[in-house]
Amino acid sequence: MPEPKEIDLRAAINAVSDVVQNRPRPLREFDQIYMKTGDMVLQSEIVARWAKGKRLAFIGDGDAIGCCVAYLHKRGILDYGPSEIAVFDFDERMCSMVTRFADSESLTTLRSHLYNCLEPFPGPMDFDCFYTNPPWGASNDGESVKVFIQRGIEATGGTGEGMVVIADDPELEWPKRVLANVQSFAIESGLFVQRMMPSLHSYHLDDNPDLRSCNLVFKSVPGRPTLTTSLAITDPARLANFYGRDNPPRVRFVREKKRLNYGKAHEDEYALELLERK
Amino acid sequence: MSELIKPGQALLYMKVGTHAQESLEDIIARKTKEIEENGVGYWGYGGGTCHPQTMVQPFGKDYEKRGNVIYLCMQEMESKHFAEPIRADEWSTDGVDWNPFPECIEVLGSRYALVIRNLRKLDFDLILDTTRVALGNSMGAPGNKYIRGRVDKACLEVIDENVQTPEKVVKIGLVADIVAPYAVHVRNRPT
Repeated sequence: MPEPKEIDLRAAINAVSDVVQNRPRPLREFDQIYMKTGDMVLQSEIVARWAKGKRLAFIGDGDAIGCCVAYLHKRGILDYGPSEIAVFDFDERMCSMVTRFADSESLTTLRSHLYNCLEPFPGPMDFDCFYTNPPWGASNDGESVKVFIQRGIEATGGTGEGMVVIADDPELEWPKRVLANVQSFAIESGLFVQRMMPSLHSYHLDDNPDLRSCNLVFKSVPGRPTLTTSLAITDPARLANFYGRDNPPRVRFVREKKRLNYGKAHEDEYALELLERK
Repeated sequence: MSELIKPGQALLYMKVGTHAQESLEDIIARKTKEIEENGVGYWGYGGGTCHPQTMVQPFGKDYEKRGNVIYLCMQEMESKHFAEPIRADEWSTDGVDWNPFPECIEVLGSRYALVIRNLRKLDFDLILDTTRVALGNSMGAPGNKYIRGRVDKACLEVIDENVQTPEKVVKIGLVADIVAPYAVHVRNRPT
């Protein structure tokens, strides 16, 4: 990777602020827990450098790191970034936000697809790399993480690289079990661990604001055959605790209620009391 | 410590006080009446640490399978909770299918509610050092480390361990049994 040039930090923070301003509010029941903004700035730079010149698939992107990466590159705040970014997410609010943001900022390298990761990956399966920050799998020993990684591997035809963001905590036991299981799964799937960047990110997580996540970077073992098919995931054992203990997926898509005033206060939040006219 | 609190016991610890401009004594009287009339009462709460679907319902189902009751253990506190006392019209276990509350049920100023029976005053010390968070992203964290700052409620399990010099002991003054469906979403009827 090239050494990064000096970055205008104020410009970078303000650019990420533009993305955050447009992002839908998180749904906790689907483990949508947003990364803190300062860490989003740093993470976007890491991703832009890692995926420089490559075609990158986001398997879910509630944080909107994909938007940040594309926007920072387009604005010239970073002089490197992926050549193409496709966001696959089951939340139509997120997909629409990506589409609106790409349109308003003329981000021609950025697009989104409404996709539930339990269904076969829709393709194309020739991305160079994938990125995912999935439900972290505290209650399923990482099974939910494996599902997202599987789709990421398929997005690259099994011959690319992946960056996976998962919990990394020195005190708790479950993140260590998940890290071990995820690495085993990746190795069984023909990848190897290229790099780990520990305890990097913090989150708007009210019951554990100190919980951090790491970047796990995987790369495919050379000489692997290219994957060309993808199957639905239906095994009840894999899904039983997907969103927490005894909490299997039951929603295919989160649908957006269309409005005209995106990014502004909802009209049902307030009423206007007018000045009295004399 | 109370006989309720033994190793393996599941409990939902919560600080309670003035809520939605109503005193605790008034809330207890109202909830006791609700339970008498309706069979179960609904104890309103908010915050993100005990989400009905991802935390309390799986916690309840898991312990029910083991034949155990989860106790709601409440610590009284001074509170300046001034949420608007707006009555919820409907409840839902999954946020998709909604049911109207009976007239006698009043959940005020809350997003969620625990489903309770057998609400009673009971005074005992709870040593949070002998508890662990039972599920979720903080699973396994000691209760005395977890309950701090804005975190004022938790799904806990009592562990089999003696602590000589506990760090955090809280005074429980109010207890209830949490019964199926354990916790629900509540809302105003959409207009």
